[in-house]
Amino acid sequence: MITASLGGAALLAGLALAGFGAGLSAWAGVRRDAVLARVGRRGLYAAAAAVVLASGALEWALLGHQFELAYVTEHTDRSLSWPLLASSFYGGQEGSLLYWTLVLTVLGSVAVAAAGRSGVRLRAYATAILAALAGFFLALLVFVASPFDLLEITPADGLGLNPILRDGGMLIHPPFLLAGFSSFAIPFAFAMASLLAGRYDAAWMAQTRRLALVAWSLQTAGLTLGMWWAYHVLGWGGYWGWDPVENVALLPWLATTAYVHSAQVQERRGQLKAWNLGLVVGAFLLAIFGTFLVRSGALVSVHTFAVSDIGPWFFGLLAVLVAFSLGMLAWRSRSLRPERPLESPASREGAFLLQNFLLIGLVAAVLWGTLLPLMSGLFGAQRVVGPSYYERVSGPLFLALLLLLAAGPLLPWRRAPRGWWRSLAWPAAAALLALAALALGGVRGVGLLAFPVLAAAAVTSVRGLRPLPWAWRHRRVYGAYLAHLGVVVVAVGIVGSHVWQSQRTATLAPGQAVTVAGHTLTFDAFGARPGSVSEQFVTLTMGDETLQPARAFYPGLGGQAVSRVAIRSTPLEDVYVVLNDAAPDHATVTVFVNPLVTWIWAGAAILVLGILLGNLGSAVPAAAPVRARVAAPAT
Amino acid sequence: MKIGAAAFVVAGCVTYLVWSAASGSAEYYQTISEVRSQPAAGDVRVLGVVQDDVQKLDGGQEVRFTAADSSARMTVDYRGTLPDIFKPGIQVVVEGRTGGDGVFHARTLLAKCPSRFTAKA
Repeated sequence: MITASLGGAALLAGLALAGFGAGLSAWAGVRRDAVLARVGRRGLYAAAAAVVLASGALEWALLGHQFELAYVTEHTDRSLSWPLLASSFYGGQEGSLLYWTLVLTVLGSVAVAAAGRSGVRLRAYATAILAALAGFFLALLVFVASPFDLLEITPADGLGLNPILRDGGMLIHPPFLLAGFSSFAIPFAFAMASLLAGRYDAAWMAQTRRLALVAWSLQTAGLTLGMWWAYHVLGWGGYWGWDPVENVALLPWLATTAYVHSAQVQERRGQLKAWNLGLVVGAFLLAIFGTFLVRSGALVSVHTFAVSDIGPWFFGLLAVLVAFSLGMLAWRSRSLRPERPLESPASREGAFLLQNFLLIGLVAAVLWGTLLPLMSGLFGAQRVVGPSYYERVSGPLFLALLLLLAAGPLLPWRRAPRGWWRSLAWPAAAALLALAALALGGVRGVGLLAFPVLAAAAVTSVRGLRPLPWAWRHRRVYGAYLAHLGVVVVAVGIVGSHVWQSQRTATLAPGQAVTVAGHTLTFDAFGARPGSVSEQFVTLTMGDETLQPARAFYPGLGGQAVSRVAIRSTPLEDVYVVLNDAAPDHATVTVFVNPLVTWIWAGAAILVLGILLGNLGSAVPAAAPVRARVAAPAT
Repeated sequence: MKIGAAAFVVAGCVTYLVWSAASGSAEYYQTISEVRSQPAAGDVRVLGVVQDDVQKLDGGQEVRFTAADSSARMTVDYRGTLPDIFKPGIQVVVEGRTGGDGVFHARTLLAKCPSRFTAKA
């Protein structure tokens, strides 16, 4: 009771403070008033403190089984372990909104506090936009979807959490992804603030470079953890199904990837100003759009989110943000001319731009496929595209991006000198070598095309580190090439598991065996473990190893069964066994052999490590010193 | 301008990819009564609720059940791995076509997750 009142009061106070901070900061920006701006900033800090308090109250209620709160009853029960109880904080709609607001206000406060050198107006307007966004979320939390609503009767126990979600992956995948999306509001706010303030230098970018990279690495980690969770828990042998919910999480990541690359062109050369603003706006709007799409129930998805009344609110927010940012860009478009035009397409700038075009093409194609049911539904029968559409469209585009990853870093800034293509000798040699080896090894089809490109990209990424003596000040370069290497490793895993996956379903009697891709699995024994969650399992032997896939039954949820996949991982391949049906006299299993899947997880770890390394410990850059920096040596 | 030309070429390629891939793999959503009254030439996707008559055949590798929506019902036959949450009462999306036997033969079967965000299965 007290917890609910405290949490509700904190949210209301947060709303008032955010509104106060937004209004005051905007006024301070107009008046160029540093004192007023400081008061406005403190409004945002105080709103962040109120949100922290509300979040603490919700955690307290969840951990303390305070079932008088509807949110606690609907998402937990007494049988959950405390990490799962704690993670229910962002497991439900209201809680995930609160989590989003928490990340936004806390990171927003940090960014604004650290932006002391960016000038009064830029800082004040950025504060105003962040506080206004926080105000929107707080208004939703107070008036529409409060996590602190009380039940009239306090039940003895809650409804519990769906068994598929009772998994470690569920603890870490959503907070990373949500934090990655919400923290991208900060580059957005600074970009819009620089337009409002009439500053066209790269100050907003220098100010938010680190946060944009943090947001990007959070999104990368969130997407990978989601894939990892789907692969280990859902038991369909794959990790990515091109479901609408997955697609709308991928779209902002693609746009953010484009932005972190093209931002360097502006930092170093003062070009692509309007383009970068457009990308930041696009990436943030795609994140909001994705939230709207999955919450509004407009699309049929394998994941059904709680469809609720907040859909229209997000649509409203999206409309306001689109109108605001397009209006700002149009208003200032004349001042956003580059200091000098691009000199030549055969340059580092040109490569970044081409990469951007390809990524935007990818965004457009995925968006088109995702929205097709909605769009075609307006004009007649609903049409829908499946995974084969996405594979056929994205395959060539990803391949082109990897080619660019092999060649782009070899191009110097400004203009490639005559004969620059000689620097392509190493990656080209690697590609030819790989091609010959694969062709002799009998590989045909997509693999024959993709792996040589990957070999070339790997050589470029590794050689990129070579000419620099090891020194901490080169960490941005190391980080970038390490991230590239991570992308190559991920791609090897995706191509390998895609091209060479084998699968077989078989019903076995005891002692019988099934062979898939050279692995023979023998049905050894059937067993059962009774308990509140009963389990059936079978023991299969493969050489001198045993695999034990199982099915668990949750009586509390209408006897729902959950597969427990057995996976034997090596760097070369995973043997992945799903138990479909079992009895003492027979077992039906589906065996997948998924080559190179481990490379995906390893590559993503390298990628995130690279992003963090390139970003670590660098001092916050001053207003616009970046152009003075010496361009990286053309490798 | 060369940059503009590059953008144009990329846009052209993406349009071509989208068009060719979509014309090869786009399917129609149909309701159960549409499936029954006007069988389509290609595969269609149908949304329905699994009824109580689920039969498992062939050691669990094949399943046969009635899917229903608010106005019609049809028999669905599916061979393959069933989603964990498959049971009477849940919503499924089946993809396939009606055979000569009047049974809908599903190539894929997707179960709609009980909301990721609420527990009521």
